[in-house]
Amino acid sequence: MDFTVFAQQIANGLVNGMAYVLIATGLTLVFGVLRIVNFAHGEFYMLGAYLTYFAGTLLGLDYITAAVLGAVVVAALGVVANKLIFWPLRRDHEFTILLSSLGLALLIANSGELLFGADPKYVESPFADEILDIGTVTLTQQRVLVFAAAVAVLVAVYLFIRYSRFGKMMRATAQNPDGAALTGINIGLVHSYTFALACGLAALSGALVGPTVMIFPTIGNWAVLKGFIVVIMGGLGSVTGALFAGLLLGVIESLGGGYISLGFMEAIGYAMIIAVLLWRPNGLFSTARGLR
Amino acid sequence: MNAKHISLAGGVLLLGILPFLAGNAYLEHLLVLWMLYALLALSLNIIIGYLGELSFGHAAFVGVGAYTSAILSTQLGLPPLIGLPLAGLVAALFGLVIGYAALRVVGPQFAILTLGFGSILYTVTNHWVDVTRGPMGISNIPPLSLGPVTFTDARETYYLVLGLVLVVAFLCHALVNSRTGRAFIAVRENAPLAASLGVNVFHTKLLGFVVATAIAGVGGAIYAHYIKVITPDIMGVHNVAALIIVVVVGGRGTIVGPILGALVYIGLLESLRVAGPLRMVVFAALLTGTVVFLPGGLVSLWQRWRGNHKAENNATATTAPTTLPNAEGGAK
Repeated sequence: MDFTVFAQQIANGLVNGMAYVLIATGLTLVFGVLRIVNFAHGEFYMLGAYLTYFAGTLLGLDYITAAVLGAVVVAALGVVANKLIFWPLRRDHEFTILLSSLGLALLIANSGELLFGADPKYVESPFADEILDIGTVTLTQQRVLVFAAAVAVLVAVYLFIRYSRFGKMMRATAQNPDGAALTGINIGLVHSYTFALACGLAALSGALVGPTVMIFPTIGNWAVLKGFIVVIMGGLGSVTGALFAGLLLGVIESLGGGYISLGFMEAIGYAMIIAVLLWRPNGLFSTARGLR
Repeated sequence: MNAKHISLAGGVLLLGILPFLAGNAYLEHLLVLWMLYALLALSLNIIIGYLGELSFGHAAFVGVGAYTSAILSTQLGLPPLIGLPLAGLVAALFGLVIGYAALRVVGPQFAILTLGFGSILYTVTNHWVDVTRGPMGISNIPPLSLGPVTFTDARETYYLVLGLVLVVAFLCHALVNSRTGRAFIAVRENAPLAASLGVNVFHTKLLGFVVATAIAGVGGAIYAHYIKVITPDIMGVHNVAALIIVVVVGGRGTIVGPILGALVYIGLLESLRVAGPLRMVVFAALLTGTVVFLPGGLVSLWQRWRGNHKAENNATATTAPTTLPNAEGGAK
């Protein structure tokens, strides 16, 4: 086995995995805090990538500003989606919430196709064509940026949840919404902020990954599937689980694609989670109710 | 004989003469599609309506059945009518393995896991070019036939699928009123309580899941032999969403619901053909709207109307509620 190739595969896998983690963190937060399985999560990823693209081409903004703007706008859209659909349905059966989020996903994806056109687009980034050598491993600067930005954002999210007043409110709501409400926590506000955070994270990952691949209106599908696999493998509601599972999925896909078959790469990743779930049906880091 | 039996007989008779009323080949083709989707929706309804679990992988089993029968008839030259039960059997085997793994979890996890399994089957079908011809799909699939018995044109296929729909509908009806069916409902309503009464929850769910996937496989095989071309898209997310929309919009947990939902789906699909991508937006809105405002689906409209009607008669038209169903109506 050639070590250089192996190291390169691992590095690629870690970068992909970090993007998965970024997608999955939002999903797992929304589930952990609000008990909502949001099928439309991937669509916010798609919107993040497209808004970055349009902010760059139509408004002429530079890539970083466009990405941040995209994330902020999508976070606001997440709050709107919450107000219109998820907040009114919060007392309903999980079935209803799951199906209406599926409806929302179809709605956004197909409206996207209508508005943006079905042809693939490229998000311009000054880092996309620059190469960075780390030892024997070669990565584009954009991919390094994906990893670095994701790490920075995840650390910030962790500190926010752990130490800020608002993070404590989120964790209290995750443990017991009624109890949290009794102590004077504004649950409606927690809902809104959690959605803003989750959708912002999804949009940011779309903006970061956008320049490394082509974007088209159905990528949300792909994103939500990856996010779900990571979340299910890590344990629904577990942020730590999402981190490990995301990196693991990225590396295994990369190795499977490199050494077994590129075409079956995705199937290998899914097969892996099924193996994991046969052993631990509720995921690697399954928790009792609450946010870890 | 009561009113219910008479309306049932009338409905079946109407379905029986529909191809003669259709008048042209295009409408007959739509009738076949309606019945095919009704069959598939009835099978998905066993999982969604009776077991109370949301499967996002059902289209994959339709695809497994379609590909099994298509490969057997095009590459091994097996008579398609023999391939039909084999397609059901293979789909049931897949259902057994996948159900065995996925039914250990419930609720959202189950939905996501079946989505993952469906994606595996889709990916494998799309890339295993030697067997499935990948994205090119399989074409020139022979029509359903065995010796002198053939189902080549739309009308013959319609009667074949109608027969199957009626059989499955009757089986669902018999199931609901049987010990096994009551076990299904008990598991749906309260699994721990059902378990405490001696129902083997896992086996009950697995049984329902395998039966549903077998029917889906047969439906997929008929589809393949009727349309004559299949591509991996049959397993795609679009078809998954379509089947769920049919069941939920029609009315989950009922027998008429999925059949009605399939009619609405095929009807809208054709009448909105000119609208292009806007079509799926309409379906998405329809799904969300139904879930939020009409959780029982279209069939519950009829029940509400009858309920109101009776109330009106009883109260001699004083303050009986005659308004349309409101948002609060029976959210589960």
